[in-house]
Amino acid sequence: MSIRILAALAIATAGAVVSSTAAAISPAELQTSLAAEARQADPAFREFSAQRGETFYRAKHGGDWSCSTCHTDNPAMPGNHAVTNKAVKPLAPAANPDRFTNPEKVAKWFKRNCNDVLKRACTAQEKGDLVAWLLTVKP
Amino acid sequence: MKATLLSAFLLIAATGNALAGSHVYGPFPADYVEECGSCHVAFPPQLLTAPGWQRVMEQLDKHYGADASLEDKRRTAIADFLRRSASTRDKHAPTEASARLSRTAWFAREHGPTPPAKVSFAECTACHTAADRGDYSERSIKLPAGWRRAR
Ligand code: HEC
Ligand code: HEC
Ligand code: HEC
Repeated sequence: MSIRILAALAIATAGAVVSSTAAAISPAELQTSLAAEARQADPAFREFSAQRGETFYRAKHGGDWSCSTCHTDNPAMPGNHAVTNKAVKPLAPAANPDRFTNPEKVAKWFKRNCNDVLKRACTAQEKGDLVAWLLTVKP
Repeated sequence: MKATLLSAFLLIAATGNALAGSHVYGPFPADYVEECGSCHVAFPPQLLTAPGWQRVMEQLDKHYGADASLEDKRRTAIADFLRRSASTRDKHAPTEASARLSRTAWFAREHGPTPPAKVSFAECTACHTAADRGDYSERSIKLPAGWRRAR
């Protein structure tokens, strides 16, 4: 299991380095590469689930924070950083078209925020589920 | 590509100094604002000494309760910028391990010992309404209701 996660991570990291010079992508293209990673980690993987993504977004995962703590219950709305109070723009692409278009930025924030909320990296499946749900959120 | 971006960054960085006495410290290089201005305002590099910034930059993965980790190249470029723009005065030296600029002797003298209820001194914008532009001049200060600087 941990080897699988490591493999997924290695792919994710390599992806980020390559894409640092790459042009902007669409959330759909991001989903395609996350799906490839998820399949690599688990050959039984079929498709991402928006429903799992929503559950993941709202869960505290055993700590103090959930994704919704800073990105609000409704990710089409602006949020606030839980400690500094600074405004955070909406996370849902329909409300903020810049989201999930810069692979380097996406990788950086998944790493940080998953660490803060789950005390570990997110798997490709968790990321893909989340993006799948965010793409269904309308402002 | 990377190298050009980096040298562009260093060029801008060299001009990021405050006008002496004006209390306007910006504008800061875009990379600094992007990486260090996403969770709070990009703090003026001139308000902490180089050893203080070094301490901050060495523990970004455990950054005041948040993970602010950066990829090595970016971290080095920003650490360089901070070191070169840092204060050389004792009054801006860190006074504790976490190297908060809100705990230097200068900050304490300027702000008193006690922040307003439910506001951290780290939240500059709570009083300095133009802090996101590096502007801490007196005319842009608006204090939270009921708070006065104690002595
Ligand atoms: C403590 C506050 C906080 C928490 C909790 C948090 N985030 Fe964030 N998140 C931020 C901030 C701040 C940014 C960067 C500012 C911005 O881009 O608006 C950000 C940006 C992101 C981005 C970048 C998206 C893009 O393309 O611009 C992603 C992805 C993200 N967060 C995912 C998550 C996930 C997943 C969780 C839950 C596991 C989570 N966040 C929890 C504060 C938080
Ligand atoms: C992921 C979010 C995040 C990012 C990115 C981030 N910080 Fe912070 N920073 C915080 C939090 C949270 C605090 C604590 C605020 C508080 O105590 O009210 C903080 C506090 C600080 C403080 C201490 C403020 C004080 O009280 O004097 C300094 C200095 C600082 N950050 C510098 C930086 C620098 C330099 C960078 C860029 C390399 C950076 N930060 C990037 C979240 C972040
Ligand atoms: C609770 C309100 C409050 C907060 C929060 C706050 N300040 Fe101040 N700040 C003041 C007051 C009041 C003064 C004194 C103005 C004077 O002397 O007339 C001041 C003065 C200053 C000055 C000198 C400007 C001058 O005109 O003398 C600087 C620079 C400054 N603050 C930076 C910061 C920074 C950086 C932060 C965040 C890390 C911060 N402040 C947070 C209230 C605040």
